[in-house]
Amino acid sequence: MKLPNYNERLLTVEKRTRRFMLGAAGVMVLVLLLIADRQDYFRRSTAIYFFTPNAQGLSKGMAVKFIGFKVGSVQDVRMQPNATVQVKVSLDDEYVHLIGQDAKARLVKEALVGESVVEIIPGSQQVKQVTQDSVLQFERGQDAGSVVENLAAQLQPILSDIHQITTSINNPNGDVQQTLKNLNQATGGFRETVNQFTQLGASSNQKLDGAYVKFDKALDRVNSSLETLDKAIPKLVDKADTTLNNVQSATSDIKKITNDSAGEIPSLVRNANSLVQDGQETLGGVKKSWLLNGLFPKPEEQALPVDGYVPPKP
Amino acid sequence: MRSTSSILSCCLLLAACGHVEEMRSARLEQATEFNQRAQRAFQRGEYQSAATLYENALLLDVAIENVNGIAINTLNLARVNQVLGQNALAQRYLDSLLEDKSLQYPAAQLAAAAVQKSLLRLQENDATGATEWVEKSAAFCVRDCPLSGVIDNARASIALRTNDADKALYWSERAASENKNASPLEYANSLRLAASAKLLNSDPDAALRLSEEALVIDKTLGLPEKIRQDLLLSEQAHTKLGHAELAAQYRDRAARIAATAVK
Repeated sequence: MKLPNYNERLLTVEKRTRRFMLGAAGVMVLVLLLIADRQDYFRRSTAIYFFTPNAQGLSKGMAVKFIGFKVGSVQDVRMQPNATVQVKVSLDDEYVHLIGQDAKARLVKEALVGESVVEIIPGSQQVKQVTQDSVLQFERGQDAGSVVENLAAQLQPILSDIHQITTSINNPNGDVQQTLKNLNQATGGFRETVNQFTQLGASSNQKLDGAYVKFDKALDRVNSSLETLDKAIPKLVDKADTTLNNVQSATSDIKKITNDSAGEIPSLVRNANSLVQDGQETLGGVKKSWLLNGLFPKPEEQALPVDGYVPPKP
Repeated sequence: MRSTSSILSCCLLLAACGHVEEMRSARLEQATEFNQRAQRAFQRGEYQSAATLYENALLLDVAIENVNGIAINTLNLARVNQVLGQNALAQRYLDSLLEDKSLQYPAAQLAAAAVQKSLLRLQENDATGATEWVEKSAAFCVRDCPLSGVIDNARASIALRTNDADKALYWSERAASENKNASPLEYANSLRLAASAKLLNSDPDAALRLSEEALVIDKTLGLPEKIRQDLLLSEQAHTKLGHAELAAQYRDRAARIAATAVK
């Protein structure tokens, strides 16, 4: 009596199961399509290449950017028989017309602590656009670390020159110190002679002659001191010149480095800042999460210990 | 049965995930940060910076009426000003706590304020005032009070100031047993006070032992003024023992520390 009813229910369950299975299959297909779209399977692309002596910092899947926009990705990084590295880049066709044959690929870091990307540096507009299997020139961009290293290398010889000059000036046996000593002595002798001259000038002509002799001697000493100073000064001037030249060349190098990385540094700093902020927020979230909040002690205001000691009166 | 336990586990997990952490306002977080920076500055001996940071923390605590924070930072300001030699200002901070009629501070913090005031009075050579405040502190310090060792040290200091060696020895030894496993700083204080009492009682051998023990602790804690006091006590003990040369060495060591003027 209940059998037809049971069969009906069985049919309904079967229908529902089929619908559910179809729905699940549909969702799976949708997900696969989304993944394929994400992996650029539906986009038409152009493969181009560049070569580099080593593969450091390059990896498959790395983003390729052009004026800040993602225009493709690294498809393959392969070692060649001649021990160079061939990098295959897949560029979206819609951007290919913007990239000339003389464009360059540059490996740059987006932030101080962040992923590296391959950046396409545009070439001149007149040159033909890249086509399938075109080869671009490749260069490595400077990161913050190498900028600092360059600066340090430039400044080192300057500092050593300055140190040498200071040491030479301070050296008691050095030309400058000796000259100043001689000059000091000569000035003392000169003063003495002038005093004698004043005292004796009125008394007698004979004594005056003696004073003239002394005066002459004193002048001679002044002259010899000045000669020594003359000899010492050019050496110093030479050294100062060399140092100034070094400073000049370092300054121009620093200027060049700064100009080269001027575009990258603000974004480096901005990105690093946002990374740090993200990190802080994440850490804050982790600290507050139920499973972990017991592991991080909550900071509390603390009192200094009372020091119960007063030294006895002496 | 199995489904019931599953439902129960799910409810338990949901309840746990829904656990809401105690809310702390941004102002309170800021006050805590100032306080912690001040603590670090104090530990590095940067007392002026510490004072400024404690003032900032106190201002925020007053603004959000965080009673506990107000008490803590006022006490800290009194302490840092005492180290800076500004005793009058230190006392004003302590009075602001002890004479506050509007806010109710925890007894332990009032006990800390009172004992600090007692020590300040003693520094001003007011043994009577010091005794009065140390007893007030003892009255505040009732159950599980962490300050009993400090209070006994203060009592020993007062007894030493009045040249009562026996009383000083009694309080310092009691303080030493209270502080031994609680606070190395206060334990070293107790040893130093006991050494002074032993010297007053003409027992230089015992005094030397105690001061040497205190010296080891103070060196570990890195407290220049305390190290100097230990060395001076050892010098006095050696003098009494007739070791003139050793006494001179200790005096010289103490003088070198004083010359650095590092507090």
